[in-house]
Amino acid sequence: MSESMAALEAMGLGKRYGRKWGLEDCSFRLPAGRIAALVGPNGAGKSTLLRMAAGITRPTAGDVRVFGRSPQDQAVEVLRQIGYLDQERPLYRSFRVDEMLRFGERLNPNWNDAVARGYLAALDIPTDSKVGRLSVGQQAQVALTMCLAKRPALLLLDEPVAALDPVAREGLMHILLRSVVDDNTTVVLSSHAVSDLVTICDYVIILSASRVHVADDLDYVLASHRLLMASSEQAPALPPGVLVISTRHSERQTNALVRVEQPVTDPSWRVVEPTLEEIVIAYLREKGPRNLAFDKPRDGDSSEDAR
Amino acid sequence: MIWATWRMHRSIFLASIAIAMAFAVWLAITGGMEEHSWTIFTSHHCSLNYPGSSAVCMSSLSGTGNFSSVNAALCGALPALLGLVLGVPLVAGEIQQRTNRLAWTQSITRTRWLLTKIGVGALFTAAIVGALAPLFWWWTDAAQRNSHIQPPNFDISGFVGVAYALSAFMLGVALGALIRRAGWAFAACVPIFALVRIGIRLYVRPGLISPTTVTVGADAPVGNTDWYLNAGFVPIGRSTPAPGQTWANSNLVIEKCQGLGYGTQKAAHSATYCERANHLHYVMQFQPPGHFWPLQGAESAIFLVLAGALLALTVLAVRRWRT
Repeated sequence: MSESMAALEAMGLGKRYGRKWGLEDCSFRLPAGRIAALVGPNGAGKSTLLRMAAGITRPTAGDVRVFGRSPQDQAVEVLRQIGYLDQERPLYRSFRVDEMLRFGERLNPNWNDAVARGYLAALDIPTDSKVGRLSVGQQAQVALTMCLAKRPALLLLDEPVAALDPVAREGLMHILLRSVVDDNTTVVLSSHAVSDLVTICDYVIILSASRVHVADDLDYVLASHRLLMASSEQAPALPPGVLVISTRHSERQTNALVRVEQPVTDPSWRVVEPTLEEIVIAYLREKGPRNLAFDKPRDGDSSEDAR
Repeated sequence: MIWATWRMHRSIFLASIAIAMAFAVWLAITGGMEEHSWTIFTSHHCSLNYPGSSAVCMSSLSGTGNFSSVNAALCGALPALLGLVLGVPLVAGEIQQRTNRLAWTQSITRTRWLLTKIGVGALFTAAIVGALAPLFWWWTDAAQRNSHIQPPNFDISGFVGVAYALSAFMLGVALGALIRRAGWAFAACVPIFALVRIGIRLYVRPGLISPTTVTVGADAPVGNTDWYLNAGFVPIGRSTPAPGQTWANSNLVIEKCQGLGYGTQKAAHSATYCERANHLHYVMQFQPPGHFWPLQGAESAIFLVLAGALLALTVLAVRRWRT
């Protein structure tokens, strides 16, 4: 796979449900081999984006590509490359776990049964019990195993850690990291809790109110945002060239999370490097229309963007 | 995928086998009773017109016909019902469980997924209804005692039931895929399919193969194994009513002649006179028993074409899925 080919690319992608846009004008380019965190509040359009990328939902506008091909073609070559974990973890509840694996084996040429059985054994999930009898967490693990044993090039995981206990989360993160290293898998994980993902991801897509606010390398995102702090009584004007994402005023202090092009040198502001969580929350808090007008990341921002 | 289809719908497949077998047992028992009664009836030279002539005849009659109209209706409805029961959940069931999202993200195209499921389901439907067909035929002989071409019998004889079942199956699949709720789809399918079948039976089947038309003389014997469509007076030289006229003519002369004792059979001498005096002859139109298999083939073809159209519709709907 050539370095220049994006694992997942969205171009003006949009999905309208009735009159309301579930996702609007979404553009980004995720290089292969990354672990991308797709973060945003509930209802922001994360699942809609992942469903369109998996070829289950048809876009109303724009286009989505998986390794250069549209998943909407429903072609086997594209479907083979995608491992999709739906938010609702659909499984055939009347199947036994091993029948679920057999289903995967019959329908996927790259299926790795040893991997699947290994995961399930490590998780102490009995393969002879019915799927419907398993706990919610165990069902989530079976659904994940189905995705991983398919050995896709792109894993699209919708809220993969939601039903998992902390130990299982650790285990999943470990598995994902290993498959990225071993097989150059690209992973997109969605979550409404940033802390779940921040430890392993190296790419961030921030969605809020049906729009993409940020889609870039984690390092770049961290480097291009600053938290400015000053006391409220003498809050100076914001330095030129910064884009305000969110401001918070208290009696004592004014905090502004801003996007910067160059280092802020204005001495009247105390400049702090924010955490990813702070950046995400700033975007999510200010989701009114005024923020939607801000410039999207330009082409060339991303170091991988050498087309 | 064949195994997966079987495994996914195993319970409904097994349930429909159980329904079919239970009905087959019931039909064998009641049909056997009918056959026994008929044996008594004929061996004692009983007549339908004077059943009261002997106690044996009366008791043989009381055994017959108790279930025959119910059974005839059930035989008529069962193939379509089995088709619907097997067809509706095929796609709608997966959508309701959201498992279509699982299936459509495996390494298999949606079309292949759909066609395999439909293929397995259709073969199963045809096999189960086809297996019932000889039993239905036997039961019709045992309980109805008249020609297979006549309407309630035609529908449950021969292979037309398989065509009904397959088109009902495809209607179930298609509406299930469009409505996406098994319950609602089933509720919509039942009246639609019933209307189509009744409509075709009443308005299409009689002329599906051009009927035999005979001008009957006063002394001509009339067979009762034919399926009568029309009978009446028409002017000499014509075998069907003149344009704008119907078999039940309002012409006074014809009415007069009609009143002289014609039903589907004619015998009265006065009728012969009437014909001659008015330049009319009596014409009958019917489907003879010899048309049974061609009619079965033609009506089956209609239902199979409908099933094919529904298949195309389903493939399009599933391929162009929007959620």
